[in-house]
Amino acid sequence: MSVRELVLSYARGRWHARGGEVDLVHRELRGLEGLIEAHMTSEAAPVEVRLQFDMSALPRWLHQYHGHYCNYTLRVPPRGMRA
Amino acid sequence: MTTNRRWHSGMFGTEDWWSVWIGLAIFAASLASLAGVDLVGWMARPRPWEWTNLSSEFAWSKLFAPASAGYASWHPLVSWAATYFVFTALFATGARFLRLDVRRFVIGFTVLFVVTWAAWVVGNELHLTIVDAAVDGRNRYAEAQLSWGLQLGEGAPYLLALIAGLVLGNFAKGFAATRLAEAARPEWYIKTAIVFLGVNLGAQTIEASGFAVDLVLTGAAATFVAYLFFWPIVYAVARKWFGFKRDVAAVVASGISVCGASAAIATAGAIRAKPVIPVTVSMVVVIFAMLELIVLPGLYTAFLPDQPIVNGAALGMTVKTDGADAAAGALLDELMIARHLQLTGEQWQTGWILSAALLTKIWIDVFIGIWAFVLAIVWIRNVEKRADAVQVSPMEIWFRFPKFVFGYFVAWGVYFLLATQSEALAATLDTGTAVVAGPMRTMLFMLTFVAMGAMTNFAKLKGMGKIALLYGLALVVVIAPIAYAVAYLFHRGITPPLAP
Repeated sequence: MSVRELVLSYARGRWHARGGEVDLVHRELRGLEGLIEAHMTSEAAPVEVRLQFDMSALPRWLHQYHGHYCNYTLRVPPRGMRA
Repeated sequence: MTTNRRWHSGMFGTEDWWSVWIGLAIFAASLASLAGVDLVGWMARPRPWEWTNLSSEFAWSKLFAPASAGYASWHPLVSWAATYFVFTALFATGARFLRLDVRRFVIGFTVLFVVTWAAWVVGNELHLTIVDAAVDGRNRYAEAQLSWGLQLGEGAPYLLALIAGLVLGNFAKGFAATRLAEAARPEWYIKTAIVFLGVNLGAQTIEASGFAVDLVLTGAAATFVAYLFFWPIVYAVARKWFGFKRDVAAVVASGISVCGASAAIATAGAIRAKPVIPVTVSMVVVIFAMLELIVLPGLYTAFLPDQPIVNGAALGMTVKTDGADAAAGALLDELMIARHLQLTGEQWQTGWILSAALLTKIWIDVFIGIWAFVLAIVWIRNVEKRADAVQVSPMEIWFRFPKFVFGYFVAWGVYFLLATQSEALAATLDTGTAVVAGPMRTMLFMLTFVAMGAMTNFAKLKGMGKIALLYGLALVVVIAPIAYAVAYLFHRGITPPLAP
């Protein structure tokens, strides 16, 4: 199992995932996760992708109400087990 | 980039944590009174004044003066300047860590501070405040020989601050948006004031421990009602009657029924909704919270003047942002005290109705992290059906926990432990903490009123049709009546102690 960390954000109606050489964009989060999964095709072992939302993607006036949006882990199965 | 990666992330990067640091720093400074050193008595405090008296012989000392006798030799303007510089420096330091534009913040803060003080000083004019009633055989209204009076008590400065803020937010929109936006952070100011209020709760716990237990019980009931009663009703109505999609309905339900903008953001994050949804819902929540702040304290005071603690607790369940709830609680506190004095000649102690409003709300706030975590699990398993691919850590509960609550309970615990050692120690302690819990706390409440008004633009309700309609419907038909019934069940007949 390998672990990757990506920063998730949302701007102009699109979700973004960035980190290292990864820079992916999609209109839907589910679609973005599909792109992340496809990007990991070279990995033979399962990959744990830790996604951390960048709060600066939300308007500043909103931060005073809550300082966190979401973090979650996307488990990408090894190459041979992907649909 | 602002992400929460570790448990200590954001300790110097969120308003929530900075309310703890500023609140506890000033509270700690007030404890120097135990060593005979007064580090907070320079704080300026407005004084009751009457305009014919002032115009016949003007003196700054008639308008305001240093809070402690140890600083009585200071000119009032020096005391006011010290107040401005200390609070500006503290919040500007926080603003720097929050990566705000410090120059713009200081300019905005200065405008809000001046407006706050203008409202506070004008609001202490006797024609606005003093109540026509005899207390301990003295009728100060009659003694002042006033020909008329609004008799609003200490609620008058709050009302003026609210009006001033709303004028800025709605009639000077450009100025508010460009010059004040960086500093118009009512949640930051109110959370700092709530840390100060820990002292009040400590004093109230010493005076009536049963009251504190009562508030804890109501808080538990309020939490149950908000999460397990209001939420499913509003969610069902949003889905079936208004046709909202699942994610929108969930975010709207949390915003309307749990704890406002905070709950909307937490829920949206938990179900990984597009951020545009909580942004829209939060705009509606903020405007409705302002409407509740304008309407509910006056309504409860006029129609239910004999149920002070019921009214306070009902506010805590009904008003959905911390700033609006605490502000509405403070306004209700002052208006009800003045009204009761008018009707009976008895004067209740200040702060008890506010505590009822606040503690009920804090209970609801505390559980938002757990609620969002449960919702995330349910969403992944039952809605998205992706339990095999997506995992959420329990650390999310911590990231969503409202940190200012720590400050509130630390101030409460420290005050309670020290004040219960001996009466002499309690008296010495109070020389410092009375300034923190008194004028400093009041000033931050006033600042909250102005800042909240300045960022509330009612015109933004245009285009929010369905969400605004659902909010209004849920508030009037579901939330306000049930909240009042629950508060009545627990607190009917309970009144604050009489002022000494």
